[in-house]
Amino acid sequence: MKVAISYPPILNRFGQKAMVSQNRNVQFFQKPTYLLPVVQGQAATWLEQLGHQVLWDDGNSQLKSYRRWSDDLVRENPDVIVFESTTPVMKFYWSTIVELKNRLPESIFIMTGYHSMRRPEETLSKSPTDLVLRSNHIDFVLAKLIPFIAKEPNWRETCEIEGLVIRMKNGNTRDTGHFRQVEPLEKSPLVDRDLVQWKNYAKENGNFLQTPGTYASSVIRDCMFGKCTFCRYNGGDLTFSMLPVEKSLNEYERLVNDYGTKEIFDDSGVWYRGREAREFAQGIIDRGLHKKGCYFGFNTRFEYLDEKTIALLAKANFRFILIGLEAADDETLARLKKGYQIQHVERCLSWMTKYGLHPHLTIMVGYYWQTQEQLDQTVSFVKDLMLRGLARTLQVTLCTPLDFTEYHEECIREGVLLTRNYDDHDMSKLIVKTPIPHDSYYLAVRQMYSIAFHPQFILRQLKFLFSFRKRDWQFLFTYGLRAIRRVRQHIFNLTREQGKSDNKLEPAHAD
Amino acid sequence: MATDSLKDSLNLNLKANYADVHKALHNVLGNESLSKNTFKLIIERGHLNFRAGQCVNLGLPNSAINREYSTYSGEKENELEFLIREVEDGDVSPALRKLNRGDTIEIDGAYGLFTLPESKPEDRSYVFVATGTGIAPFHCFIRSISNLDYTILHGTRLNEENYEIGHYAEDSYIHCVSKEKGGNFEGRVTDYLRQNPQGAEKHYYLCGNRNMANEVYDILREQKVSGSNIITEVFF
Ligand SMILES: Cc1cc2nc3c(=O)[nH]c(=O)nc-3n(C[C@H](O)[C@H](O)[C@H](O)COP(=O)(O)OP(=O)(O)OC[C@H]3O[C@@H](n4cnc5c(N)ncnc54)[C@H](O)[C@@H]3O)c2cc1C
Ligand code: SF4
Repeated sequence: MKVAISYPPILNRFGQKAMVSQNRNVQFFQKPTYLLPVVQGQAATWLEQLGHQVLWDDGNSQLKSYRRWSDDLVRENPDVIVFESTTPVMKFYWSTIVELKNRLPESIFIMTGYHSMRRPEETLSKSPTDLVLRSNHIDFVLAKLIPFIAKEPNWRETCEIEGLVIRMKNGNTRDTGHFRQVEPLEKSPLVDRDLVQWKNYAKENGNFLQTPGTYASSVIRDCMFGKCTFCRYNGGDLTFSMLPVEKSLNEYERLVNDYGTKEIFDDSGVWYRGREAREFAQGIIDRGLHKKGCYFGFNTRFEYLDEKTIALLAKANFRFILIGLEAADDETLARLKKGYQIQHVERCLSWMTKYGLHPHLTIMVGYYWQTQEQLDQTVSFVKDLMLRGLARTLQVTLCTPLDFTEYHEECIREGVLLTRNYDDHDMSKLIVKTPIPHDSYYLAVRQMYSIAFHPQFILRQLKFLFSFRKRDWQFLFTYGLRAIRRVRQHIFNLTREQGKSDNKLEPAHAD
Repeated sequence: MATDSLKDSLNLNLKANYADVHKALHNVLGNESLSKNTFKLIIERGHLNFRAGQCVNLGLPNSAINREYSTYSGEKENELEFLIREVEDGDVSPALRKLNRGDTIEIDGAYGLFTLPESKPEDRSYVFVATGTGIAPFHCFIRSISNLDYTILHGTRLNEENYEIGHYAEDSYIHCVSKEKGGNFEGRVTDYLRQNPQGAEKHYYLCGNRNMANEVYDILREQKVSGSNIITEVFF
C-alpha cells in the first residue's frame, strides 16, 4: 500500500506557521522550527520495512505552501493518509480532510494524536475521517493495521486491532476497545533518517546548540512520571514504555559516525534516570562518542538526576537539559502534581551547571488560580536563577488547557475556560479566567524573557563560556543568535493580546 | 459514548484538587525487612489523603532526589506503608532501606490513576497480576475495600518473596516462583496464566516489570480478554 505520513503546512491569520513545539504542542511562529515527529518516523520506517510504499510528507519542513502540499498529495494519490491531531489545529484538520476526501475519495484518512485519541467520535462526526487511532503507539498500531487493510477488503467490519475507532461501511462507528498501554519499544525500528529527510530538521531547532542536530528515537514513551495535570503524557490510559539502553546507543553511534550529527536530542517526556542514565552515559564514553564533538541533550524533571549521574552525563558530552520549572510556589506545583519541591530546584540546577550542563528552563504562567503574589514569586525566582548562572536559557509559555488533559478537564469543570473555539488553544493568549488581569501574566512573560538582555546575565554567560570547553563558544554564534530571534518571536506572540479584554472570548463549554 | 465508558473503565479521577495533593516531611515509624532485597517502610500518615493504587514520590530530606512508590497500606489505615525493593546501586531505594524509626522522609503526592472504579468496585471480578513489589497497589486495594472479588497472581524469583502472604485470602493468592522450588506454582506468572486462564470477563490490573506487562497483555488478548479490561502500571 502507499501510505502518506502527512503534516500539512498550517498558517494562521498573521501569516505565522504552526510548528510542533515542546511536548508536541502546536504554536504559531513567523520563523518556525522543525521538529522531527519521531514516533511517526518509526512508523514510516516500519511500514517501509514491511514492503509498503511510504511517502514522508511533511509540508512544513519541506517548505511547501498549503496549495502545493495538497496538490502534491493528490497527485501521489496514496491509499492511506495519516495525520496527527492536537487541539488548536483540529478545525483545520477537519476542513482539510473534507477537502481532500473530495479530491481523493478512495484514500483512507487516519487521525492520530492526543486530541482525537481522547475524543475519537468528535473527529469522526466533524470530518470524513475513516479511522481514529486511540493509541499513542502509532508505529506499533500502523505496523499491524496497514497490512490488515491491505489484505482484508472488509477491514472496517472485521479489524480487531485494539485502540481503533473505525467508520464502517454503513456509516456507523466501531470501537475496538482500549489500546495496549505498554509496547516493547525495542521491536519498533529506529528512524530511517534518509526516509524522513532528516536534514530538513537539522538546523531550525532551538534545542540544538550545534548543527546539524537531530532527534533520537525516544527512549521513554510517554513519561515515566506522567502525573503532571497539564501534560498530555498523563492519564489513566497511559503508562510508559522504555527502550533498552543498548539499542539507543546503537542509534547514537550511527548518527554520529554515519550522519555526522553534532547534536542529538531525545524528546522523551522525561529521559532515563538512575541506573539507565548512568549506563547510557558510560556507553557513550565506552564507544568513544563523547570525543566526536557531538552534544547530547534530553528533557528531565527536578529530583530525578543525582550529582553522580550528572557528572557522568557531563563527561559523556551531554549539554542541553530541558527542565520544567512550572512555577516557584509550592501550591501551584502541588496543584499541577509536579512531584518536586521548590526548595530543591536550586540544588538540582547547581549540580548541572557545576559540571557544565546547560539547563534550559521551561516556565509557564497563567494558571486559573495564579495570584499576583505567586506570579511575582515565579518571576523573581527565575530572575535569581538566571542571574546567578544556575540556568542558562529559558522559555516561557502560557499554560493552555489542551487535548483533554486533567488540567483541561479541570478548567471545564471549574467553569474557567473562556472559549469554545479550539483555534484559541494555540498558546498565543490566555483562555482561562484568572484572579488577576491577563495583562499581568503577559507582562511577566516579557519580564522573564528580558532577563536574557540583563548585563549581569550576559556577564554570567561569558564567565560560563570561559570556564568550560572551547567548543562552547559556538553557543554565542549559533544558539545565542537563534535565542534572541526566538525571544523576539515569543514576545510578539505572547504579548500581542496585551491590553485586550480578558473576557472577549466565547463563554466556556464542556464539549 | 465509547470514551465515557473508557473513562469509566479506567476510572479517570479528574476531580482531585489541591487539597488532595500533599507534600511534607513525615516521621519514619519503622522499617521491616521482608526478604533479602525487600522491605516495608512505615511512615506517619500525617494529613496525606490518597486513593488506593495511587503513588507518591519519596525522597530523603534535602537529598533533592525522589522516586515514585505505590501506597501499600490501606486508604483508611493510620500509618502509611510502602513495599520497596532495594535496587543494587540505586539512587533512592538503598537510602530508604537505611531509614530507621525517628528519621524523616519527604513525601510528594498522592497522584495517579491506577485505581479501582470509584463507584461499586466490589461489583466486578478482578485479576491482579504483579511481579515483585508490583503487588503493592493490590495489597492497598484489598486493605482499602472489603469484599473485593479478586485473584492475585504474584510472580517472584524466590520463595521468600511472598510478602505478608497472610494478608490475602488464602485461595485468592497464587504465588509463582521462577528461580527455585516452592510457592503455588513453579514458573513465571506468565506460564501460570497461559496454563490457567482466569476468564475473559474479568478486569485485569497489571503492575511491575514492563516485560511482564507486555507478555501478559498478549496472553490475555489470546484468551479473548478485551483491551478495555486491561489496565497497567509499569514500575520499570
Ligand atoms: C508509578 C511507579 C510506582 C512505583 N512503585 C514502586 C513500589 O511500590 N515499590 C518499589 O520497590 N518500586 C516502585 N517503583 C520503582 C521506583 O520508583 C524506583 O524506580 C526504584 O525504587 C529504583 O529507584 P532507585 O533510585 O533506587 O534506582 P535507580 O538508580 O533509579 O535505578 C533504577 C533501576 O532499578 C530497576 N528497578 C526499578 N524498580 C525496581 C523494582 N521494583 N524491582 C526491581 N528493579 C527495579 C530499574 O530497572 C533500573 O534499572 C515505582 C515506579 C513507578 C514509575
Ligand atoms: S514530568 Fe510531567 S510535564 Fe514532564 S513529561 Fe512527565 S508528565 Fe509531562
